[in-house]
Amino acid sequence: MNVSQDDARASLSTIRDARIQTQRAAISTYASPMMILWGTLWIIAFIATHLYIEHGQHIFTAMNVVGIAVSAIIFYQLFHSKPPFREDPSERLGWRIAALWILLYVYVIIWLFLLAPFSGMQCNAFISTAGMFACVVMGLWFKSTFMIVLGLVMTGVTLVGFYLLTSCYCLWMAMMGGGSLLGAGLYIRVRWR
Amino acid sequence: MAQLDNIIHQTVRLQIMSSLVSLDQRERVNFTTLRKLLKLTDGNLGAHLNKLEQAGYIEIEKTFVARKPQTFIFATGKGRDAFTEHTTALQQIIQGTKNND
Repeated sequence: MNVSQDDARASLSTIRDARIQTQRAAISTYASPMMILWGTLWIIAFIATHLYIEHGQHIFTAMNVVGIAVSAIIFYQLFHSKPPFREDPSERLGWRIAALWILLYVYVIIWLFLLAPFSGMQCNAFISTAGMFACVVMGLWFKSTFMIVLGLVMTGVTLVGFYLLTSCYCLWMAMMGGGSLLGAGLYIRVRWR
Repeated sequence: MAQLDNIIHQTVRLQIMSSLVSLDQRERVNFTTLRKLLKLTDGNLGAHLNKLEQAGYIEIEKTFVARKPQTFIFATGKGRDAFTEHTTALQQIIQGTKNND
């Protein structure tokens, strides 16, 4: 086979483009609906908590119930309607991802009982960073730089709000936390598919 | 010295193998998704997939999801090895460490 250096470069460029496109499509398929959902819920819940601080606990309980229920429906649709990607059924990966998040919730509740008493803001920052920790773990698991960076950036956003912007923590989290999640989710949905 | 692979080198098949190899070993891609990703027609993609399947580089899995027939494609171990060797050969050509014949 006669392949010049230019042909070889063009072929490697084709390989790189196809790889990036596929990896982005895979990330977009699963991550974008979750980011859009949780970004929207964060914005609503944090703004509502800012306005009605005394009901913060109820607002976030309601947000979690709605978020978990809608997440389960989205994942069911993704895996059971017309899945663009599919794991080897013997790996039961969908169930293992679900188990990771359920276990995280259970452990967070245990830790909250162990650490009590705490303020609403401490509780909120703790749950937010615990969720982002799971995001980083999943990024390492799936070799996804995007998820690792997302988890670390959102953790940074939470810490900045917690330590430096105490008086407007809820608004900060609504705009920078929820807004970033929603914006990034919409961006990868539109551009990475 | 790594060898170029005649079957993989064709542009569309190179794109197909690049897409499949970029996924995890346990992961399959839906035929429709792959067609949209690579901007191909059903017939064109099907023809190239057949060639890759005959070489043992990919497997085509027909299954039912929610009672609807679905076709999933994934790269085999042999396909992944051949792709890696082809990529290495391309890099060697660029570095000038391989004769391009």
